[in-house]
Amino acid sequence: MATRLLVVDDEEDFLRSIVMRIELRGLAVHGVASGSAALDYLRGNPDTVDVVLLDIRMPGMDGLETLRQIKACCPSVEVIVVTGHGSQEFSRIGRELGAFDYLIKPIRLDVILERIEAATRAGRKRRAD
Amino acid sequence: MDGRYQQLAWRMTLTGLAVTLIPLWVTGAAIYLYFASTQEESQRAQLHNLALNRSNAVQLFLAERTSMLEALGHVATLDALTSPGELENVLGILNKRQQSFVDIGIIDANGEHLAYEGPYHLEDRNYGGEDWFEETMLRGVHISDVFLGFRGVPHFVIAVRRDDRTAPWILRATIDSDVFTRLVQSGQVGLTGNAYIVNRAGRFQTAPRFGGEILATAPFDPSIAPPGVNVVFREDEHGRRLMTAFAWIASKDWLLVIDRDSSEPAAPLRQALRLELIALVIASLLVGGAVVYHIRQLVTRLAEEDRSRVATEAQLAHSARLVSLGRMAAGVAHEINNPLAAIGELAGLMEDLIDPAFLASTPHAGLFQDNVRKIQLHVDRTRDITHRMLGFARRMEPRHDTVNVNDVAREALTFVEREAAYRQVELVRNLDPNLPIITSDRAQMQQVFLNLLNNALDAVPEAGRIVVTSRSDEDGVVVTVEDNGCGIPEELHDRIFDPFFTTKGPGEGSGLGLSICHTIMKGLGGSLTFTSSPGEGTVFQVRLPRHQA
Repeated sequence: MATRLLVVDDEEDFLRSIVMRIELRGLAVHGVASGSAALDYLRGNPDTVDVVLLDIRMPGMDGLETLRQIKACCPSVEVIVVTGHGSQEFSRIGRELGAFDYLIKPIRLDVILERIEAATRAGRKRRAD
Repeated sequence: MDGRYQQLAWRMTLTGLAVTLIPLWVTGAAIYLYFASTQEESQRAQLHNLALNRSNAVQLFLAERTSMLEALGHVATLDALTSPGELENVLGILNKRQQSFVDIGIIDANGEHLAYEGPYHLEDRNYGGEDWFEETMLRGVHISDVFLGFRGVPHFVIAVRRDDRTAPWILRATIDSDVFTRLVQSGQVGLTGNAYIVNRAGRFQTAPRFGGEILATAPFDPSIAPPGVNVVFREDEHGRRLMTAFAWIASKDWLLVIDRDSSEPAAPLRQALRLELIALVIASLLVGGAVVYHIRQLVTRLAEEDRSRVATEAQLAHSARLVSLGRMAAGVAHEINNPLAAIGELAGLMEDLIDPAFLASTPHAGLFQDNVRKIQLHVDRTRDITHRMLGFARRMEPRHDTVNVNDVAREALTFVEREAAYRQVELVRNLDPNLPIITSDRAQMQQVFLNLLNNALDAVPEAGRIVVTSRSDEDGVVVTVEDNGCGIPEELHDRIFDPFFTTKGPGEGSGLGLSICHTIMKGLGGSLTFTSSPGEGTVFQVRLPRHQA
């Protein structure tokens, strides 16, 4: 089964482009522009997402809070943090909150896809266990 | 050591030498003067006693011999004394104890010898008209001045008159000048001491050791000598300063004179002065050497301390600049990374979406594809730059060490304790031994403590007091640095953490210290606050969470 992906980023050009590019590579992907929209989507479409690509700095609910709530409502979903902010602090907190990986923008699509695949495998293994 | 410290060392050395050596030399001089005065008094008293003693001895000598002749005149009759061989017996008895009588004679009222015993064969001499004869006939007892007599030899005589029923007669004896002179000269003291007798007219009655012969005129007028026994300072004919004792012989109008070169009794004093001077020079060299050595050590240490402090401040400022630069780099990188990611994805999407039919329809297809790839290439290049910037920023981020705050406070205190000791500032450590171990950045925490301690040292006056206290509460650890310095005026309270704000003079502070501390504490998830009363002091409070955010 193809990976089902949710991309959360307030940067419209980035969001639209990456969603389309991932779609072109055969993955089921949906994009939202805020943390609250992501939570709404996940709650409205349970068990339809394997991996979330999550930005940190967003207006309203920031990425770390969104991550915490995703892990609270949908613990089976793997989250990859993708941010322009390379703080070790965010990286540490992200991992503490259960993020699968922490990637710094800009990042090549092939690297993103690799990490998505790894997260998918890890999530499936965890669910199987 | 540069000029400023050299000058300080000179000033301190001069002051140190002045406060140590001046009292030493003043004490030395006082001791010498006291000793000299005591010594002179002692010499004077000694000479006075000697003169009194010798004058008594001379008087006793004269009185004894006079009494002996008087007793003889009373117990023996004229007939007995003039009988053949009797005077020889008498002279033998008189000289039995001491050979002080040279000859003895019995003389009638006309001055003729009735009998004579002695070495000079004076039996035929007539003394009528001689001064001593006339005086004896007149007063009954007479001790003559020294005179040459018939023999032309200096001598003096003691004569007593005996009044018989028929006519008076005189018992006359010549006194051995050598015995008498030895008696007087026994008052001579030391190598240059002189003891002699002069009569009222100033003629020597005994031979002086130096400066004249018997019967010569003494070089001073005896009338300068007051009655009794006196010690005076005077100069002799060679200009030498003499300590002289004058003692009038009461029974005879003679003056006993005992001279001492005033420099001779001072010889032990000069020796004492030499020893004292040597001791003072050695003590001065030791004290001076110790003062110079310790002050040089002190100033060298002070210079090192200052250098280390300047270096620490420079390090602090440098660290602060790096932290600021790191923050700026992180901010810039983040701001660039987001649009850069969008550009990269947009270009990637363009490449993904290019229709091969479109490419075939245009002669610029190659250029179009190249440009899209180049956009991605440049995005990659720029990403490398921003990632390097983020890498730098990450190195500036706080570390997460396991920290005993008391240890960090003690380390910071060791940096300033020498300067505190130099300025006599009391450093009080009230560190709670039961502080919890916390997670924080040890180096940055130390920067904060060091900065607060340096500020407190600058604020307190000489002999001030700085108290460093640590305690814990449920939120974490609280460290306070309290000083009793000048305090911070209320109107400056709002500006104290502003960058580049300083109350120190130009070149003394960058105005960054507290601003950096404030920023560091925020970065460590803690806080830096203060309370201050102008004129009473300031308390800075550092609050550190148990676990760094």
